[in-house]
Amino acid sequence: MGRRRRRVDRGAAVGALPKAIAALSRTLPAGPSPEIFRRAKFDRPEAAPALWQLLFRVLSPLSADGASASPAQGEPPSTEAQVRAVKSELRSQGYPRRALAQLPEDGSQGSRELLLALAWLLARGPLLERLLAQTRVRLGDEIPLCECEALARPGAPVPRVEADGPVDIRHLQWLMGKLRFQWRKLITSQQEQCALLGKIHSYTRGCHSDRSLGHLSVAETELLRDAEGGQQDTVLGTCPPEASQPTFVPRIPERGAGEWELVARELQALQEELRGAAEPRRAAWEARVGGWGPEWSAVQRASREAVGLELAALQRAWERGGAAAQPHGPCRLVKSDAGASGGPGLRAAQVIEVLRSREACLEAVLCQLQRQCRQELARLAGALPGLIWILPPGR
Amino acid sequence: MLPADCSRRLVAELRDALDACAERQRQLERSLRVSRRLLRTWEPAETPAPQPTPAPETSGEAPSPESTPSSQDLKELELLTQALEKAVRVRKGISKTGERHKALSLKSGSAATSATTASAPSRPSGQASCRVSETKPPRGIQQTVVPARGLPESRLLSVGDRTRMGRGSRATKPGPGPRDQQIPPSAALQAPEAFTLKEKGADVDCWLPQPLWKPCSGLEGGSPQSAASLSTGFPDRILLRLPMAYRKAASRNSRLWAQLSSAQTSDSMDAAATAKTQFLQKMQMTSGGPGSGLSAAAVEAEVGLLRTACLLLRRRMEEVLSADPADCMQEYRCLLTLEGLQAITEQCLHRLQELRAAVVGRQLGPWPVGRRPGASLPCGGGTDPLWSPQLLLYSSTQELQTLEALRLRLAMLDQQIHLEKVLMAELLPLVGTQGPHWLALCRAVHSLLCEGGERFLTVLRDEPAD
Repeated sequence: MGRRRRRVDRGAAVGALPKAIAALSRTLPAGPSPEIFRRAKFDRPEAAPALWQLLFRVLSPLSADGASASPAQGEPPSTEAQVRAVKSELRSQGYPRRALAQLPEDGSQGSRELLLALAWLLARGPLLERLLAQTRVRLGDEIPLCECEALARPGAPVPRVEADGPVDIRHLQWLMGKLRFQWRKLITSQQEQCALLGKIHSYTRGCHSDRSLGHLSVAETELLRDAEGGQQDTVLGTCPPEASQPTFVPRIPERGAGEWELVARELQALQEELRGAAEPRRAAWEARVGGWGPEWSAVQRASREAVGLELAALQRAWERGGAAAQPHGPCRLVKSDAGASGGPGLRAAQVIEVLRSREACLEAVLCQLQRQCRQELARLAGALPGLIWILPPGR
Repeated sequence: MLPADCSRRLVAELRDALDACAERQRQLERSLRVSRRLLRTWEPAETPAPQPTPAPETSGEAPSPESTPSSQDLKELELLTQALEKAVRVRKGISKTGERHKALSLKSGSAATSATTASAPSRPSGQASCRVSETKPPRGIQQTVVPARGLPESRLLSVGDRTRMGRGSRATKPGPGPRDQQIPPSAALQAPEAFTLKEKGADVDCWLPQPLWKPCSGLEGGSPQSAASLSTGFPDRILLRLPMAYRKAASRNSRLWAQLSSAQTSDSMDAAATAKTQFLQKMQMTSGGPGSGLSAAAVEAEVGLLRTACLLLRRRMEEVLSADPADCMQEYRCLLTLEGLQAITEQCLHRLQELRAAVVGRQLGPWPVGRRPGASLPCGGGTDPLWSPQLLLYSSTQELQTLEALRLRLAMLDQQIHLEKVLMAELLPLVGTQGPHWLALCRAVHSLLCEGGERFLTVLRDEPAD
């Protein structure tokens, strides 16, 4: 029973349900048979392990903490590990029922509860579509625009236990330098790849059956090449099934309440400062303008509107509302000369604009953090007199 | 030396960052290998024929010098191309019927050779052809005349040689003017060959006459005209078909997607959506608490957003405060901005309180390690883009490079900000407690935290002059 739909026409429902369940069991990874679903409805214990496994498979690509379920490791994790992972993932996604958390870890009970959990996941979001999208063959040269899909990172292994012991700070400096160098290398490789991609796209122009695309992608070109070499059977196998470059996102250490306190303090401090700046100005302004005539009001209104727009734009910079305008998910790259404004699809120029504004935002954040550090260090260093601190040039 | 636990955490973080970077690099190199391999057949690194002017094909970085044709040459080639045009028109009429048959037989025949010098001279002309498909017939003719591999290789090689010797080049970037004029001679040289070959026998005839190059798909089996042409230098100019299995699968796939999206009529969507929300509400109610519907992930993410908001608001405030209002209007605007910022800050604080209440009320569990808060946030985009990928149109390689560079830069900034926060949390407390080598530590910490590890400050002891 995939969804507990309330159907108006019971007759139709009776017929449709088995079909829906059969389809569901075909689509889901490690799909349990319809019989398992039926048993789970009656809360039979034998259905529980299959459902735990199903939930684990369904949830694990979505969580960065796959609990050692990364494909690199050959063996599937133990039942306990799966149960724990599923519980933790559901909790972090906001699953409301506490009964799930109380199920035993050996995975022997609670099939009805698990069925509810599955239904909840299906109802909340496009779960099946997302699963299909993850496993589908990527034919085009895709570029992911949105970060959230990219977090299908297979479970990062637990932080390795560094047997090194205390290190010198120079080791850290060295690691940072190495990181900077790696990024630079990455950027040049990326530029080269773009150049090659551009070439392939322009060389294969006119080869695609789909006119809106116009040219082949790398995967399709490879298909062609290999087909010529006589490997027609394996041709479909060459299409890369995995996502083309999931962006790897750094982990954020557990903060929990700490972050909240920090932000609350900062916001309050900011509020105080703003009040301190605005109130005297308002008072002074009122004193000056008090007697001015009605023609001022129009001008004032115009100013208010202008400022309102500016502030709204500022708000958009951090709110998700701004990001929602951006399409979600990977986009297929298509080289098109005219850049015809009529056709479907995004224009690279627009995307570049959005990315630039996001870049400015992030740079501001980084600068602010660095400034805070500088102030803090100056404060600490000031405690020791008799020293002259010469800041590095070129700032 | 740093304390052990601090070292461990920091080294782990930095190593993670390095791993993430290395993983990207690996994937990128995989794609680069594939692309390079594909391009190798179009731009062979060395050609078998002896070349007086060696022109090794790199991946297009080093354009060989273009020679500019003289006016005499131009005149000659104009005459030649006109003659060719006429001839092609005649031929087209004759061979139209036999075209399809030849095309089919050719496909099997041409599968063997992959890299020939035919690709070399045909590429420059081909590249121009992308642009000239609508332009003057003479140019179009050249495209049709430049034959693909069906012609015996030796013939093409010699033609190619002559081309190279005569003109010495393949510039990698087809510029419009001089290139187009450069191409015709090569084509003109080849044309007579092609024509004579055609006369000789059916098996050498692999060239499909086309008055103008048409950028039509090589995949349709449809009209004979459309069966052949391909663009630039793709060696298999005559017929390029993706394998049958693929085409079938691809068309079935797109049909199914279309069916899927059309099957979602508004009625059924609404009914499904209502049913879903009702179900979710029921779940919420039976769980024994009102709940705010927020997950720990969402809360953390919002808190992060509010932190960014605070930073941006503060930055704007500093801008306003440091600006010197020139006149009344500007003063008024500054005032309004400050008050507006204050209002927004209050909203943010209010939201923060709400989040706090939600967290406390629901007693959300501990944060799972290793999870990025933004992960489970449903990104505003809805389900449509998941169906089939949207298109992203770019017009030039530079644009694509800019786009990718920006994406990388964003990822890098993200990582830097994260590392900055981690380092701040770990290192600043160490500086606070004065220990041995405090100065060196201070200097190193300053460089890491404030300059991204790129620059160092200098510390001098202020000794009183004796």
